Amino acid sequence: MATKPNTLQRQISSSSNIPTEEEKFKMIAENVTISYGDKPAVNNVTMKFKEKSVTALIGPSGCGKTTFLRCLNRMHDMTKNAKVEGKVMIDGIDLYSKDIDPIYHRRKVGMVFQKPNPFPTMSIFDNVTAGLRLNGVKDKKILNEIVEDTLKMAYLWDEVKNDLKKPAVELSGGQQQRLCIARALAIQPEVLLMDEPASALDPIATQKIEETITELKKEFTIIIVTHNMQQAVRVSDYTGFMYLGDLVEFRETKKLFTDPKNELTAKYVQGQFG
Amino acid sequence: MTRLIDPSLEKLSQTMTEMGDMAIKCVSLAVDSYLEGKNTNDQVHDLSDSIRNKYFEVEDLIFDMLLKYQPVADDFRMIRSSTEISYAFSRFGRYAYDITQVRDLFGDISECTNESLLEITKKVKHMIKEAVLSFAQLDVRKAVKIQEDEAFIDKIYKERLPKLIESNNTKCVLAEALLLRYLERIGDHAVFMSDAINYIVTGKHKPSEKRIASHTKSS
Amino acid sequence: MNINKRQQYRNLFKQNVERRLFVDKIVRLIVISCVVTAIIPLGSILVEVFKNGIAAISIEFLTEVPGSIGSGEGGIGPAIQGTLIVIGMASIIGVPIGVLSGIFLSEFGDNKLAKSVRFFNDVFMEFPSILLGIFAFLVIVLVLGHFSVWAGAFALALIMFPIVARTTEESLKMIPVTYREAGIALGLRHWVVTMRIVIAAAKNGMVTGVLLSVARIGGETAPLIMTILGSSLFFNNFDTPMDALPLRIWRLSLLPYDSAQLQGWGAALVLILIILAINIGVRTLVLNKNDTYRFGKMIKEKIGGTK
Repeated sequence: MATKPNTLQRQISSSSNIPTEEEKFKMIAENVTISYGDKPAVNNVTMKFKEKSVTALIGPSGCGKTTFLRCLNRMHDMTKNAKVEGKVMIDGIDLYSKDIDPIYHRRKVGMVFQKPNPFPTMSIFDNVTAGLRLNGVKDKKILNEIVEDTLKMAYLWDEVKNDLKKPAVELSGGQQQRLCIARALAIQPEVLLMDEPASALDPIATQKIEETITELKKEFTIIIVTHNMQQAVRVSDYTGFMYLGDLVEFRETKKLFTDPKNELTAKYVQGQFG
Repeated sequence: MTRLIDPSLEKLSQTMTEMGDMAIKCVSLAVDSYLEGKNTNDQVHDLSDSIRNKYFEVEDLIFDMLLKYQPVADDFRMIRSSTEISYAFSRFGRYAYDITQVRDLFGDISECTNESLLEITKKVKHMIKEAVLSFAQLDVRKAVKIQEDEAFIDKIYKERLPKLIESNNTKCVLAEALLLRYLERIGDHAVFMSDAINYIVTGKHKPSEKRIASHTKSS
Repeated sequence: MNINKRQQYRNLFKQNVERRLFVDKIVRLIVISCVVTAIIPLGSILVEVFKNGIAAISIEFLTEVPGSIGSGEGGIGPAIQGTLIVIGMASIIGVPIGVLSGIFLSEFGDNKLAKSVRFFNDVFMEFPSILLGIFAFLVIVLVLGHFSVWAGAFALALIMFPIVARTTEESLKMIPVTYREAGIALGLRHWVVTMRIVIAAAKNGMVTGVLLSVARIGGETAPLIMTILGSSLFFNNFDTPMDALPLRIWRLSLLPYDSAQLQGWGAALVLILIILAINIGVRTLVLNKNDTYRFGKMIKEKIGGTK
C-alpha cells in the first residue's frame, strides 16, 4: 500500500522569489508590512512582478492577500487605522515616498473589484470614460477612440456597441464586470490589479473574464487575487501563496501546483485545510 | 479530513498494489516454466488478463479523478505517474504471457537452460520485486538498484546475442533469443517505472528515456 | 434519527401550517384596515379642503389684495406672493447649508466633531417651531427694530436645514462604499468622487429630503407670526412685514364671517396646490437620467410597440 510521499525536500521559504533573470520587473513590493492598529495583516512581504505577466495570489480567507493587493495602489489611504510600511515601486519609483502624488501614480495602477461596481447613474459610455472625463479630458474624438479600444480589450464591444448610452446597471453581472475592466483600462494603466474578479459571476462569465485576462497580459502586468485555484492554474504565470500575513511560497505557477516546495503550500492547494 | 478525492486515491493505490503482486507472480511463473519445463500457460494467461483489466480500471479511475477533482501537487504527481506505472505492470503481464508462449511453441526446453539464463532470470525477478516495493513505499533509493539490475540485463543481452549466432542448436537459440528480448523489455519498463516513482517524490522528470532510447539507434 | 421520528416531526409541521395561514389572513385584514383608517383622515382632509375651497377660487381671489374685513371681496394675492418669496429665500439659505453639512457628516464624519454636530442636528430637528420663531424674533426683529422678510426667511431656514442635513447624510450613506473605492481607484480626487459620483447617485434621496423640508416650512405658521407678522399689501422690500398663506389662513379662520371662512378654505387649497406643484416640478427637473431613459423607453415602446 502506497504511503505518503517521502518529505525529504520540503523547506520553509519566506519571502522567496523567482530567479532574477534579465527580465524586467514592472512592479516590486519590498518589505511591505500593513497593520490595522497593533496586529499586522501583512507581514514583511516582498514580491516582484514581471512585466507583461499574470501573477496570482492565493491563500485562505484572512491571509492578507486582498490587503496586500490594495496597498499596491495605495487604497489604504482611505482606510482608518491602516499603517503601511515598506516600498512599492513601479519602474523604480516608490509609490509611498513622501514626494509622490498618489493620485498621479494611482493612474498607473488600475483596479477591478470583486463585485462589479459600475457607477449607477451613468451610461456605459460615461462609465468607461469616467476616469478621463472627471479628470478634465473633454475631446470627444479621443473619448470615442478609448471607449472602443477598451471595450474591445474587455471583450464587451460587440455586445454593447449599438447602445452605449444604455444605463450601465442594465447589463448582466458578467457584462458589468467587463465594463469595470474597460473602465479601469481607460485611464491607460500599466499594471492592473484584480480582486477576485470572477467570484461573483456564473461560469460562462467567468470564462470570458479569464479569456480577457489572457489577452490583456500581452500588454499589461496583471496581479489577481483568487480563491479559485484552478483559475490560478489556468490564468497565471506566477503564483504567490500567503498564509496569516506571510508570503509562504512564490514560484512559477506550474511548479507551485505540481511540486510545491513548502509543506503548507502542498496542504493548502490539495484542500487539506482552509 | 477526508477530501472528496481521497476514496478514489485509496482505490487507485489498492488496485495498483494488486497489479504489482500479480505481476511478480506472473513473471515468476512464466520464467520458471521456461527454465523447468512446467506448463503454467493457463495461470499466466489468467493473471496477464487480470492485470490488463486492472490497467483499464486504473486508466478510467485516473481520468475520472482528473475530470472531477483537478488534482494538484502530490495528488497530481501520483496520478500522473500511475499511468506509467500501471502500464509497466500490464507490460510485465504481457511479456510473461509471451514467455509462456515460447515454451508452448518450442515444447519443453529446459535443456536449453544455461548459466547466463539463470543469472538473468534471477535478476529480473529481483528487479520486479524491487520495483513493486519501491512503489509501495515510495522509496526512491531503490531506483539505483533497479538501474543496476537493468544495466546488468542489458549487458547479458548484448553479450549473448552474438554468441547465439554461432550456436548450432536452432531450437535453443531461437527460444533463448526470444526470452532475452522479453526480459530486456521488462527491464526497460522497470526503469521507466522507477523514473515515474522518482517523479512522484521529487517532482523531477528523469531522462532515463533518452538512455534507453539509444537502443533503437545504432549505439 | 430514524424515519419514524422524522415523520412525526413532519406531521407536527403540517398542523401548524394550516393554523398559521388562518392567522396570516386575520393579521393581513387587521393591517389593511389600519392602513385604511390612517388614510381616511388624510383623504378626507384633501376632499374637505377641495370641496370647501374650490368655490372661492377665481382670478380675482388669486391676485387681489384682501378687501375690508367681512366684505368677502378681495383675495389672497399678497399671501401667495409672500409664501413663495419666504420659502424661496429660506431655501436659498437653508438648502446649501443643509446639504454641505450633510456631505460633511457623511464623507468626513468619523470624528468627535461630527458626532456632536450630528447630535445637535437631531435635537434641533425636534425643536418646537415656535421656539425657533422666538429666537428669530430676538435675534433679528428686535435688533433691526421691525418685522421683516429677512426674519421670516431666517426662522424657516433654521427649521429647514437640520432636515436637509439629515436626509442628505442618510442618502449619501446609502451609497455603497464600493463606488467611492472605484472612483479613488481611477485616480480621481476625493472631492471629485464625492461630487460627481456619490452625490449623483444619491440625488433622488437628497431631492426628496429637500422637498420634504420645503413642504414642512410651507405650512409653518408660528415662526411667521413672530417674524413677518403679516400684511395686506404686496411685496415692497425685504425690510417690511409680509403676508404668507399660513398666516392668512389663520387670520381668516378666526373671523366670524362666512365669506372670510370661504376665503380661508380657498387659501388652504391654494397652499396645498402650491406644495404639490413644487414637488412635481422639482422631481421632473432633477429626476435621475437613468429613470428618464427608462421612462422614455417605456413611452416609446407603448407608442411604437417594438421589442
